Order: sequence, then C-alpha cells, then structure tokens
Amino acid sequence: MVFKLVLDGNLHEIDIVRRRPHLVLRIDGREHEVSGIGSYGDGRQTIEIAGTAIHFARAHAGDRQFLRLDGRSFEAKLLDPRSVEAGGSGQDSVKAPMPGAVISLHKAVRDHVLRGETIVTIESMKLQTALLAPRDGVIAAILRVAGEVFDKDEVIVRLEAPAQVN
Amino acid sequence: MNSPLASTPVVTANVIPFKKILIANRGEIACRVIRTLSALGIASVAIHHRLEARAKHARMADQAVEIKGETPVAAHLDGRQIIEAALAIGADAIHPGYGFLSENAGFAKAVANAGIAFIGPDAATIALMGDKISARDFAAAHGIPVAPSVMPTQDIDAFARDAAAIGFPLLIKAAAGGGGKGMSIVRSASELTEAARIAASEAQRYFGDGRVYAETYVERPRHIEVQVLGDGQGNAIHLFERECSVQRRFQKIIEEAPAANLAPELREAICAAAVRLVAAAKYKNAGTVEFILGADGRFFFLEMNTRLQVEHPVTEMITGLDLVRAQIEIAAGHGLPMAQGAMMQNGHAIECRICAEDPARDFLPETGAVQYLGVPEADYLRFENGLDPGQRITTDFDPMLAKLVVHGPDRDVAIARSIAALKELALLGVTINIDYLARVLAHPAFRAGDLHTGFVAEHREALAVGEPAPEALHQALIAAALGFREFHDLAFGVPEPHATIGRWRN
Repeated sequence: MVFKLVLDGNLHEIDIVRRRPHLVLRIDGREHEVSGIGSYGDGRQTIEIAGTAIHFARAHAGDRQFLRLDGRSFEAKLLDPRSVEAGGSGQDSVKAPMPGAVISLHKAVRDHVLRGETIVTIESMKLQTALLAPRDGVIAAILRVAGEVFDKDEVIVRLEAPAQVN
Repeated sequence: MNSPLASTPVVTANVIPFKKILIANRGEIACRVIRTLSALGIASVAIHHRLEARAKHARMADQAVEIKGETPVAAHLDGRQIIEAALAIGADAIHPGYGFLSENAGFAKAVANAGIAFIGPDAATIALMGDKISARDFAAAHGIPVAPSVMPTQDIDAFARDAAAIGFPLLIKAAAGGGGKGMSIVRSASELTEAARIAASEAQRYFGDGRVYAETYVERPRHIEVQVLGDGQGNAIHLFERECSVQRRFQKIIEEAPAANLAPELREAICAAAVRLVAAAKYKNAGTVEFILGADGRFFFLEMNTRLQVEHPVTEMITGLDLVRAQIEIAAGHGLPMAQGAMMQNGHAIECRICAEDPARDFLPETGAVQYLGVPEADYLRFENGLDPGQRITTDFDPMLAKLVVHGPDRDVAIARSIAALKELALLGVTINIDYLARVLAHPAFRAGDLHTGFVAEHREALAVGEPAPEALHQALIAAALGFREFHDLAFGVPEPHATIGRWRN
C-alpha cells in the first residue's frame, strides 16, 4: 500500500512493505524498520527506526501536520487520492497566498480573463496584492466580495474548466 | 553577576507611590510588565477585548477589564475608554508598553489631565520626538550629527543645485513617501536632475504630492541604538548600545547588545550623543535614540523612541537592570537608578523575534494556532511570550509571537546558545521563522559581526532553506506518516478480529 505525502511542498511516497513481525516502510527505495510505536497524537513523541530512538514533537492543524525533528521544522500533508484523481491542474482556481481581506474585485462571474490579468486585489498586514488569472478562461465563481476576510489557501476565484480541444 | 532575568528587585528606601498600575497593552509586553509589578508588590490591571478575554496577560494580572471595540486593535487604541477604565478601577498610573498608545502625545496628555501618572515622558516631549522634522532639528541644534539633507521643494533645478552641494551618494525621497516609492540613489551630479524629476513625478502619482527631498545616502548602514534613562531634570545616562541591523520588511528580527566590532571611541561617541540629546530634552523615562552608522564610521541621528523598546531585554541582560522598574521609579520621581560611572556591562545578549511568517515566501504573515509549545529552559535565557495552548494566530495583531533572549559570557557563546535554544524550541501549529533565525545566527557573516541593514537581502540565497539530510528527511516522513490516522491504523492494523481495538493499544 503506497501513501503519498507532501513534506514541505515536496511529494514523497511511503510504501508499507511488511507489518509483521515489525513494521517495514520503504521510502525512495530504502527500507526502514520501525518499532517503538508512537501515538498519532500531538506533543513530544518518540519512535524507533532501526533500533534508534527518534525524538520529535508533532501537532495537527486541520489536515496539516507540523513536526519539529532534528532541530528543524517540517510541515506535512497526506495527499487525498481523490484530489489527485480529480486531476485539477491547479490552474482552475485562484487561492489566497496569505490570510487577509478582499479590497476590490476587478472582474465578475462570466467575464473572460487572460492569463496574468488581475481578478481581485487583497490586503494583508497593510500589503496589497493582486490575485492574477492563472490561465486564459472564463470566471465561474468569485467566492469573496469586497470586505470579506479569508484564510491562507482558501479558494477565492474559480475558473470554468477549459473546453476540450480534441 | 546580577541575574540576567532581572527578576530580583533590589530593596530601596524609597517607597513607590503607585499602588495599582493599568497596562494599556497586551501580549508578551503586558506579561513582561506584570512580572515587574508583582515583584514590586504593585497591583496590576490588564485590559482586553472580548476576543482575548482568556489571554495570558488578562489571567496573569490581578484584575482585568474588558475594553470594547469593533476590532481588538481598535479597542486597544481607544484612549478615552482606557482612561475611564483606569479611573473606574482606581489605577494611579498607566504603563503603555510599546506600540498602540505608547507614543501618542494626546493620550499622554489625557492621562495626565485625568490625574493619573503616565509612565513615560510628557506630551510635549512625545510630540517633539514623534515628528521626524522637529526631532531632527532639535538633535541638530544640540550638536547631534544628522544626515545632511535638502528640504522638500518643487523647484527641481534649485533642488538639484542644493543637493549636489551635500555630496554623493545621495538618497532622493518623496516628502510624503513611504514603502520605497519615489526613492532612488544618485551617485553623480550628472544623474541628479533626471533622478529628481522621476522621483517627483512618481511621488505625485503615488502620494499626490510631488515634493522630494535628498539626504546623504549611507552605504551598508548599521542600525545602532542607545538605551537611555532620563529623570526629567536634565540628568541622563545611557545603558550602552544595541545593534538591530538584521531586518526584514524594515522591521528588526535579531537584536543584540553590545554591538559587534564597534571601536571603543566610536561607541563612546554614539552613546555620548544620545545622552546629550536626552539631557537637552529634559527627557523623563526610558527611551531609545536610534542612529544609522556608515561603513566609514560616520553616524547620524535617525529618531528617538520615547517608550520601552521590544528589544529592551538584551540591555537588561548585560546590565542586570530591570528597565520596567526603572521606568516606574523615574515616573514616581525617584530619579535614575545609578550614576553613569557605576553602570557595568556583563557579557553579550541576543534577542530573536519569533514571528508567524514564512521566510521562504518573502516573510508573508501566516495564521494557525498554537497546537504545541515546548520551550527550552536555562538560567541564561528568557522566552518572552503571551502564548496559550490552542491560541489562534490571526492577522488581528502583529505577527510577532514571542522573543527568545539569550545571554552568554561573550558573543560566540551567546550565538551558540541561541542556536541551540532555537533548535530545541517547538512552537507548532503555525509556520514560524525560527529555522530562518537559526540560519542567520549560524551564517559566517553574522558570526563575524559583518552586519548592515541589507543583511537579509545580501545573503538571501545562503539563508534560504536547505534540503534536510536524507536521514532526517526519512525520519520526518516516517514520523509524519505515523501521525496520520489513516496511515497509522493501516500500519499497525492487527488481524481482522482485533482491528477495531488495535488503535487503543497506544
């Protein structure tokens, strides 16, 4: 069974090779024997990998997981296989790069936009930023009006799926 | 040495007349002030918006008062309401902390008019130092070096003539400006007129005000500031300097005391200039005089902050003085804590500002929640914070979450201890800058004390996040995978009949 995990923005695959007598995982072709089972909860944790105790701290936040290990921070997300199958190229929506509020809308639903055109101006910590069209297309929905606030990574604008060329 | 924690009050014969002090602030600085009030046996009053009713500062204080406002920030800026709260609860003084109303002359005046002591200078002094032009003129009139400049004008030719007389390089700025708009560096007379024209038209476009001015451009400037105390009678001392050159978005992220590699004569001259300014202003309070120091050893007055500074703990650590206590004693009319000659400095201290931001995305602010907080402990460090488990980190307030302040017998040890403490610290649930701060401290240029305000930009590539060692990467992947319930259950799933109880074995 292969799991897809995004760690600090990079996709990794973890394969459960064996569960008995010890858990063996394969990452990038390398096998690791894991014992000293930790819990999946938050806080200080210890697991054993190849007999060596690994100490770390962990916290969940929504579907994200924050880790502190070896004096370094990591952020992980388990990739939902359904979202991969949906095949969204990432080009069909405009997400908020940071939390903030909508200052103004430059386009309306059904408008045609060209790649790079400003659709929405947002503000966060007194910084104004333009949200640009990721590709040419037609606006399917604008999910925030002027004055509304949003969190980082929230979808602000959706584009209509591109017409099939073939 | 005195405890760097500056938490043990020295017994004095003078009794402080304040019985109850309201802190017109929140977060780490409110907690910091409450600590000293407790040590002095003075009752503390916290103020809070309803959205922060359970915040640490509100719980730590002896009493807490809710202040109303559309947003928490608006409530904390509502001076009239805060003064009414102070009167109603019987506070005899207000400590403003930093930010919010701390440098608001109108607030200081209203506090005094209400018969409450303002722990800070009088309104006239705040106004004098709060206006860049009047502060600069005052400094120049008292022999403090200010950067030569040409005042705003719309006559481009006259402007270019006067500006050229200062010498190059020059910085052209919009009079109404900010954020780098309408700014340019001019290195020769031939570029001057054209640069001034462009700056004026940009200034007109961005700010509706085409006036520009020029001042000496300082190459590789260092931000050196001097902690001062004045008694309001014209007596003043300095508590040595701090260096705050490591900045991003024009805001400090690492500060230290003393400054690295500062020639003793230069250091003496900068500190003496600060004391001269403060004595001339008959300044009453703790304050900070900021200077810009060029690679050529020339230094110029930048501004004076008439309040406690975010980075004051580094000065406390090297002097053993409690600056909040000094502020309160000065406000009570007890004068300065000691004579200049008795002021001793011990070792080196570094402060790292821990912010909810992503250095990999141009330090943009991040939101989340404090899901786990594990803080290193040692007698040489202070973790200044107002954080609570589960606390949401929003954009309602400044992204600074906490300060890690570390002391060492010398700069190398202070750096090593800071890096170790940053690595040990775990603040999980929101993206923060601690790994970046550790990389800055470990950078050879920082270790060498080769600092200037462009440090972050100059070393951008070297300071970017590197790939983790393969060993650590795999460990992190395994730790993360086991933290996801779906994976954990599958990995440790037991044969079918026991599958449902499997997860309870932990």
